[in-house]
Amino acid sequence: MKKNVILLIMLITGTVIYAQNTSQITPKTKLLVYYFHLTSRCHTCTNIEATTKKVLDENFKTELDSGIIIFKTFNVDLPENKKICKKYDAYGATLAVTYFQSGKEKIEDLTNFAFSKIYTEPVFISGLKLKIQEHLK
Amino acid sequence: MSNLLINSIYMSIKNKPSHLIMAFFVMLMLFYACKSGTDRKTGTDKKDTTQISQNKTDLSQIKDSSVNTKQDDIANPAKKDELSSVLIYNFHVTNRCPSCIAIEEATTKTLNTYFAAEMKQGRIKRQILNVDDEANKFISQKYEAFGSGLFVTRIYKGKETTTDFTGDGFKYARNKEEKFIEILKNKISEYLK
Repeated sequence: MKKNVILLIMLITGTVIYAQNTSQITPKTKLLVYYFHLTSRCHTCTNIEATTKKVLDENFKTELDSGIIIFKTFNVDLPENKKICKKYDAYGATLAVTYFQSGKEKIEDLTNFAFSKIYTEPVFISGLKLKIQEHLK
Repeated sequence: MSNLLINSIYMSIKNKPSHLIMAFFVMLMLFYACKSGTDRKTGTDKKDTTQISQNKTDLSQIKDSSVNTKQDDIANPAKKDELSSVLIYNFHVTNRCPSCIAIEEATTKTLNTYFAAEMKQGRIKRQILNVDDEANKFISQKYEAFGSGLFVTRIYKGKETTTDFTGDGFKYARNKEEKFIEILKNKISEYLK
C-alpha cells in the first residue's frame, strides 16, 4: 500500500514537471511564440531565436512563467513536427505568433519582419516587444 | 463756315428753346454712332490679339515640352519609353548555409524560367554579392544587408521601390521551392508593368 502511494506521488510529480517543461496550452494562455528552423542553421536563424528568447525573458518573464505566453521551437526536418509545420506554413526558418481573438486562434507570421530587422537589433527588439504587448491586450 | 453754322444754331435755340432739346438728342445720337464704330474696330483688334497671344503661348509650350523631353531623355534614358527596370540582389556571407544557397538557386531558376527575355534585354539585372567583401560594403549598407538577403528593386522614372524577400526565402526556398518561385515571379511581373 505504502509502495503504491509513493508510486502515485512520483507519477503525479512527473506529470506536473513534464507539463511545465513542454509548456502545454492552458485556458489562461494568450499568446504562442513559435520559432521553426531547419537542422542546418545559419547565424541569422540562430540569432533570431536567441533574440526572440531574450525579448521574452527580459520583458515578459511573468507571462512566460505563468503560461500566459508559451515559447517553443520546432525543427521542420523532424517527422514529428510535420503536422505543426504544415499548420504554420513553415518549411524553413519561420517566426510566428498565435493569439486568440473572440475564442478564435489567429496566426501572425513575423518571418519577414525578423529577417529584415535582426541586424538592427534594437529595432527587432522594440518591434517584437510592441507586437507581443499588442496581442496580450 | 463753322462760325456761321454755330451762329445759326445759337439763333435758332434762342428763338425756340425746344430746339435745344432736339439739338441735344442729335448730338447724343452722333456721339453713340461714333463710339460704336470705334468699339467694333477695337473689339476685332482685341480678338485678333488674343488669338495671336494664344498661338504664341501654344508655340512656346510646344517648344518648352520638346526641350524638357530632350533633357529628360539625357538624364534618364528609361523615361523615353516609360519602361520600368528591375534590380535583384542576392546577398550572402562567406560561410553560407543551405537556406542561403537555396534562395540563390531558386532565384536563378525563377529568372531563367520566366524572365529570360527581360534579362537579355537588360530590363532585369541581377547581382550576387558577398557582404564580407569590402567592395560590396556600400550596396550592402544601402539595403541593410548584413547577412543573407534577397531584395527586388523596381526603378521607374528615377524612383526606387524595394521589396525584401529574405524572410520568404528562408521560409520556403529550401523545402517549398515552388511556392517561393511563385511569390518571386509575381512580384517581378508586377514590377515590370
